[in-house]
Order: sequence, then C-alpha cells, then structure tokens
Amino acid sequence: MKPPILGAAPQAISVSRQEASAGVDVYGDYATLPVPKSELRSTLNIFMVYMGVLAVIAAIFAGSGLAQMYDPLTTIKVSLAGNALLALFGGLIAYIGGSTRANTYMLLRYPLGRLGAAIGSLIVSGIPLIIWFAVETWLFGMTVNVIYPHHALTSIAAASLWGGLLMMLTAYYGFRAIAVLSYITVPFWYVLVTIGFFAAIDLHGGFNALWKAKPPHPAALSLGITYVFGVYAAGSVITSDVARYGERKWSGAAAWSAHVLIFMTLLLFAGAAMTILTKSPNVIVAIAQIGMGVGALLLAILGQWTTNDNNLWSASLAWINVTGRLTKRQWVLITGVIGTLIAALWGGYYGMSMEPFIKFGVELGNFIPPVGAVLIADYYIVSRILGRRYTFGPGTRYSIANVPGLLAVFLGGAAGWLATHKGLHLPTGVGTIDSIIVAFLLYLALALTLGRAGVRFEIGEWVERPTGF
Amino acid sequence: MSEQESLKRLALISIAVMLILGVASMAVGATLENYRARYLLMLLGGIVVVDSAVYLPIVYARREDPRRIAVPALQSLWISTSMGLGYLVTAPAPYFQLSKALEAFMAVVGAIMLVYGLYSLLVISRRSGVPLAV
Repeated sequence: MKPPILGAAPQAISVSRQEASAGVDVYGDYATLPVPKSELRSTLNIFMVYMGVLAVIAAIFAGSGLAQMYDPLTTIKVSLAGNALLALFGGLIAYIGGSTRANTYMLLRYPLGRLGAAIGSLIVSGIPLIIWFAVETWLFGMTVNVIYPHHALTSIAAASLWGGLLMMLTAYYGFRAIAVLSYITVPFWYVLVTIGFFAAIDLHGGFNALWKAKPPHPAALSLGITYVFGVYAAGSVITSDVARYGERKWSGAAAWSAHVLIFMTLLLFAGAAMTILTKSPNVIVAIAQIGMGVGALLLAILGQWTTNDNNLWSASLAWINVTGRLTKRQWVLITGVIGTLIAALWGGYYGMSMEPFIKFGVELGNFIPPVGAVLIADYYIVSRILGRRYTFGPGTRYSIANVPGLLAVFLGGAAGWLATHKGLHLPTGVGTIDSIIVAFLLYLALALTLGRAGVRFEIGEWVERPTGF
Repeated sequence: MSEQESLKRLALISIAVMLILGVASMAVGATLENYRARYLLMLLGGIVVVDSAVYLPIVYARREDPRRIAVPALQSLWISTSMGLGYLVTAPAPYFQLSKALEAFMAVVGAIMLVYGLYSLLVISRRSGVPLAV
C-alpha cells in the first residue's frame, strides 16, 4: 500500500474483511475495531509504510517553499526543528496506537467524545484532505504543463481540471494496475531525488554555490517551523492508523520518528537545494531544468496518483463518520469534484506560485496539532490520574462530547493562528508550538480540575455497537 | 514439489536474477569514462546487489509457512523492481549523456527487472496470500 500524501489515513496495510478480536470488521482495514494479533507487522514493515507516505512529490515540493524563505543552512535548521517536533509529537501518538491497537478516529472518542471525534476527524482529515487532493492535482497540472507547454489543454488550470477528474474516476472505480505501478515507484523515488540533488550540485557550481545562496526576503524562523510541521501535521496526528499494526507497542513510534527526522529532513533539503541552484520557481521545473527527463516527471505523476486516490478515500471516510449518509463512493465523487475545482481555480489564479502552498501548510500547522495535543494529554496524563482506561469493543460506553477537549482544540488552534498572524507569544510565538502548548495545558487544567472536583465534564452517553459504530 | 517449496524456489530464483543483473550493471559501470553514467550504474546496480545479497540468505533460511518466506522475498523484489523502473526512467535522461549502446543496455536490464520483478511479486503475493505492501 502506499498511503496518502503527507496527510490522509493510510490504507496500505489492507486486510481481508473478517472478524476482529471483538466485533465484526464490516468496513475493512479494522476501521472501527482494534487490530487483532494475527495482523501485526514488524517494525521494518511499519517503517516502510511510513516511507511510502513520504514518497510523494509534495515532500520535496515543500522544500521549494523553504528555499524561498531561507538560505540552505537555515533551511536545515528549520527542517530539523520542525521534524524533531513532528517526531516527538507523532511518536507519542503512534505509541498510543501501538498500545491500544486502535486508529485515530477511535482514540479521539475519549478526549473529544463520539461527536467530538467526528469534528476532530473533519479537522484532521475531512477538510484538509480535500485541499491536499487539490494540491496534488495542481502539482499534476503543473507537471503536465512543464512537460507539454504551449497547448490549451496543458495549461496548469486545464490540466488540473482533467487530471483531477481522471484521478477521481480511478479512485471511484479502482484500477489495480495503477495501484501496483504506483507502489513500485516508491523506492526509486528516493533514489531519483538523491540523483537530482547531486545533478543540481554537479551542474550549478557545486556545494560552494549552494551555501552562498540567499533568499531576497528571509522569513522568520517561527514561520518556517510552523510550515514544516504543517505540511505533515495531519500525518503526525494519524500516526496511530499505521502504528496500531506494529508487533511491539513502540514499533510505530520508532518507525515514525526515524523516517520523519532523517528522511523528511533530507527530502526538504534536497527540494530546497534543487530549487535554489537552478533558480527555478519550484522543484518540478528544477527537475526538468537539470535534465532528468520526461520519464522522471511522469514517474512523479504516477507515484502520487494512488496517494491522491487515498486522499479522496480517507476524506470520504471522514465525511461518512460525520454525516452517516451516502456511500464512500458517492463521497469520493463529491469530494473529488470539489477538490478538482479548487485545483483548477488555484492553477488558473496562482499558476506556479508557491504562495498558496506555503499559506496552506502554515494553517495546517496551526489548526491540526491541537487535536493530537489533546489526545496525548488525555492518554498519558488525564486517563491515568482519573483512572480511566482506553478500551474498545461492543458495549463500550463513550460520551457524546468531551467539553474540555473540544474547547482545548478550538482555543489551541486560535492560539496558533494568533501567534503566526498577529505575532503574539502564547508563549513561544511559533504557531504550531503555541497551538500544542495551549491545547495541552488547557485540557489538562480543565479536565483535571473538574474531574477531581467530581464535576462531570463529558456530555451524554453512546454505547458501541458490534460494527464498531 | 510442495507449494511451499515451489514458492521458495521462485523467490530464490527471482532474487538471484536481480543479483546477477545488479552485478552486471556494476561491472559495466566500472568500465565507463563518462562519470555520470558510471555513478548512475554503480548506484542503481549497487542498490540491487546489496538488497539481493541481504535478502537471499534470509529467504533461503526460511522453512516455515509460505507467509514467512513471502514477506522478505516481496520486500527484496519490491526494491529491485523499483530500481528496474529507475533504469528505464534514467536511461534517456539528457543529464547523463549516455551513448546509444549504453542506453539500450540499461533499457534491456530495466525492462527485465521490471517485468520479471512485477511477475514474481504478483505470483508470490497471490500464492502466499501476503499483500504486496509488506
């Protein structure tokens, strides 16, 4: 399997429809049930799945964004800082998945409640994944335009339109051949990026030229850290979706942390270096300019094809969880059309500009992390102090809404936004860090104070059915 | 021959074929004067050789159920097959300035790796019941 872009819920580890340890796996992939022991995988397998998530053009494309903000050395520092945060944050959530064998949506039932988990699912998956689909579709349009310029049907807007519809249809019908080819591209993608990096060094003045490069308008470090965190924020919050398959509790945490700290940093730097050295507007143009050939660009398209399909599938699952209406395939059409239109408008208005991509990454870094922060606070601290265990299965009782959890998510997001856009220090001034700190502390303060005072802070009650819903 | 033995045999032969092709690439690469082509062949061939050399004894040592044989075999072939795609993609790339003969060599090696690798991956996956993404 090749899981989604730096975002969507992975479907790579696909398993047959069967009975799980408790309940019936009606939806496949144990979407609403804990993973049984017979399906557990090695730490190396989990690592490979995460590497598949990262093997998309958006990862090095994000490096192009950094190239417009910083010099190469600062790019490395910002990448390391953002990725260290991601490693810690996602690692803690992955450990929860490894311990409970539950996916993100199930885990969120405790810190947010049944309804709150649906809202959290929308914040993490439902809305961002439609935009991620649009981003990848826009990248598709841009790549086609670089390969075949000067034709009405290959303008960025037009190619985004037909490319998005094509990807939506393959997601709707499912084409195994495309899925297999896309899966085959993953290992070579890393080699290609490495070759591209050294080719750019070879052609454009060596490492000396790289280290001397400076952007015309350097950005604040806090913006870059939030951006780096943001482009993989959704992925970091849903690490448990993969980690729950790990044979050891720490398998997912170790695999996640290693891949993000080492390989995400390298990809960001490689993307930035290629963009800087070739003086290209983005890494797609850079790859073409280096002379890696049409094949490399087609490979980029192929590699992200199923990733984008997965974005639609995961977004659809989130919307079903929220609305309880329509089928997954109907939601694929709805979200696909919306995402395609956004991509076409984006391509028509911004062309190849990195501006909207950077803004999108920053906002993800503000609003998604609080969901994970509340989960971490609840699992590691609140549930232990208040004597509550994370259990799942038919008959388990959950609240409808966990009020402190929901408050912490929204206020944490607001704190991140204020730090990024208004320069407030709440307390650090780095949007993504402030959103995590505010959500984490606010939830702890409210839940522990109310819990110890004997005040019920959760509203309503919902009993899990055999299907997991 | 039992189903398990047949599966193991296919896995071992497939990995061995990849190993031979990798060694051939490195040998050809080592003789080239064009440094871009030399590094390219040494890199792609080297990855295939290391991958196959690591996994071949692992698969050989597995004697239990087909799933335990299939998992390392699929992991190894996934990497080698992907490098096969790499031969095909990089051969015509202007940056490397390959001669026509070398381009043809890489196209042939890449095509064999890709087609044979895909065939082995799909057959091993189907026979063992292990999904491709392992």
